[in-house]
Amino acid sequence: MNSDFIIIGLYLVLMFVAGLFFSRNIKSTADYFLAARSAPWFWIMGAIWATNIGFLHGYLAHGGAAYEWGLIQANFEWFQGPFGYILSGLFFIAFYWRAGVYTVPQFLERRYGSALSLIYNLAWIVIFVVTIAAEFYLGGIFLKNLLHIPFWPTVLVLAAVVGTYTLLGGLGAAIMMEFVQFIIMMLGTMPLLFILLHMVGGFAGIKDVLIGQWGVSPQYFTVLPDIHHPYGPGPWIILGQCLVITLGWCAGHQSMVQRNLGARSLYDAKFGYVAAAIPKTLGAFLYIVPMIAAPIIFASNGIFVERADASYGKLIMNLLPSGMLGLFIAGLLSAGLSSISSVLNSTSTMMVKDIYERYLVKGRGDHHYFIAGRVATFAVIALSLLIVPIVLKVYLIMWLEQTLLAMVLGPFMGILMLAIFWRRANAAGSLVGFITGAVFAVLLQQVFGVNIFFEISWWSFVVTSIVTVAVTLLTAKPRPEQLDGLTWESDFRAKLGQILEERAVKNGAKIGEVPKPVVRRPPWYLNIKYWATAILLVQVALLLFFG
Amino acid sequence: MKRISPFLVVVIVLLLSQTGAGQEKFNDVRQQMADSLTAVKTSLRADERQAALRHFADAKKVWEAGVKPMITEGVKTNNQFQEYFDRMAEVDGHFISLAQELESGGLQQIESRVNAMIWAISHHPRGFKVPKPRYTVWDWVFGLGIGIGFCVFAIFFGLHLRRSYYRRYQKQGEKAPKG
Repeated sequence: MNSDFIIIGLYLVLMFVAGLFFSRNIKSTADYFLAARSAPWFWIMGAIWATNIGFLHGYLAHGGAAYEWGLIQANFEWFQGPFGYILSGLFFIAFYWRAGVYTVPQFLERRYGSALSLIYNLAWIVIFVVTIAAEFYLGGIFLKNLLHIPFWPTVLVLAAVVGTYTLLGGLGAAIMMEFVQFIIMMLGTMPLLFILLHMVGGFAGIKDVLIGQWGVSPQYFTVLPDIHHPYGPGPWIILGQCLVITLGWCAGHQSMVQRNLGARSLYDAKFGYVAAAIPKTLGAFLYIVPMIAAPIIFASNGIFVERADASYGKLIMNLLPSGMLGLFIAGLLSAGLSSISSVLNSTSTMMVKDIYERYLVKGRGDHHYFIAGRVATFAVIALSLLIVPIVLKVYLIMWLEQTLLAMVLGPFMGILMLAIFWRRANAAGSLVGFITGAVFAVLLQQVFGVNIFFEISWWSFVVTSIVTVAVTLLTAKPRPEQLDGLTWESDFRAKLGQILEERAVKNGAKIGEVPKPVVRRPPWYLNIKYWATAILLVQVALLLFFG
Repeated sequence: MKRISPFLVVVIVLLLSQTGAGQEKFNDVRQQMADSLTAVKTSLRADERQAALRHFADAKKVWEAGVKPMITEGVKTNNQFQEYFDRMAEVDGHFISLAQELESGGLQQIESRVNAMIWAISHHPRGFKVPKPRYTVWDWVFGLGIGIGFCVFAIFFGLHLRRSYYRRYQKQGEKAPKG
């Protein structure tokens, strides 16, 4: 155990020092919030996955949910996650990139006006603070169980380490640290799968014991269960999760989008997002499949597990030898710290760029907002620590966070799809649509008792879309500046315009002022579309094998 | 006001901490019982039967005085206690059997019993009890129908936008429509 403590201590010191090192060149808000738009695609890939996968979205909460409900949890990593990554990479990111924005609310402001942008912003800040609190809680409880150290001091140390490098280094430090952490996570946590599968006789062995001997429901091994499933009915997973939550998460989650906006080119942003689907797919083998085998290990070895969220920690504590355990915990801490730092950075970005600079203190110098970013980061850490005790009460952290997301992402996807695909969509329609959709989602959950967040997100998406269209048709058309470069049609026009202009120049003719984007042609093996197709084919194979 | 604010923060934290403390206490007492039961196994492996009996008594004490009352009280207000309430008789039965096995049983038999007891006070996956799949045609007509319908709509809408582009920016050699 001493060697484990040494490894963990070394890791935390290393993260702290590396964070300080990476933060030495941060001097402006562009450096702080967008990493000076300098990150290559492989940094983006690592950072996106490390941002996505933390204590909450990944090892502890996803792993806990996999223990609780079975293979259905792999939906987040197979097909749906990569589908969202690829579609956002190929499609949505271009809109944000060309709009030249720092945040998703800034895009909404340009397309729909400030009221909707402010509401969206505030909703995400609430979700982010809850998310960080949940990450701190899960990290604290994990280390408490594992190393028998007190909860609150552990949480405070985690907050100090991650807070320091995020606060000082901004997005640049966060992205570079996330890339390092991505490698540590992969190398540190993969051995668990092989150890476990060896112990239980492979995936078939797990099925034999659970279904054959224990009489467990076959739906524990189903990726797409029937419509009566209490946690994730198959049809709702397709509709609510695949088309709404996952897409909304990938295209609307500020932390995810912000990493792309920090890329050095649009190609890097797009390819980084698409390539991140590869580790995303592998993620299921790091924390979903092992947790399906966990009940067998717990029952046959007399390992006590108090709640689903604690099951992952209990598994590794009792399975891994000393030394390897320390490396594993370092990998896990990487996951947690990278997620916390990215959400922290995003929250401070939204607070400063979309609220402080926009409404509270206008027209000050860049340095002023740079300092404000650091103060905001500190404030978010403090606020998150304050609500950790509330998170303690929730039965399954995953459920809490996803329900909150469903209430925001359903309406968001409704207005985003209309923003991009329907030039007629206007500010009044989207505002009324978003609010109606969000209220409808809350009513579904609180009044009608719908607890399946996939279902909530789908219906709130539908209601938002219908109301937005109806109100839009009754009100004035949007102004030209609210459409220029912000809709699919204008993007399509830009691409076709380039082709037509080339033809026109060839024929010695002119076709007017058509925007001509610089196109960087990568070698065939780095062609985004080939990779996207290959990744989607792997998802289909996985679904056919496990589904 | 500035002086009061930090105190308010501390008070809020303390109050909120209390709300989560009940759940944590229930976890802690079960952990304590599991530790005592594990110590029974460890002692027997070291051939220390007296120590095993002592740990068994500790586990029973925690069960009777700590875990059981919390379950019977908790189940009245919180359905998270239901699974443990349902398994209370099972744990009681295990205690009776284990007491006899500690007198005359073999190590392997006792270890299995202790493991079963620890598993009985652990949280069991809810997914185990989900009914067997009852897929109906409507499940998939409903789910896939809307999903595929959505994709078909997106394709046709895309084609519509493409046509609307050519209406606005005619192909080479064509005249733009008026209006």
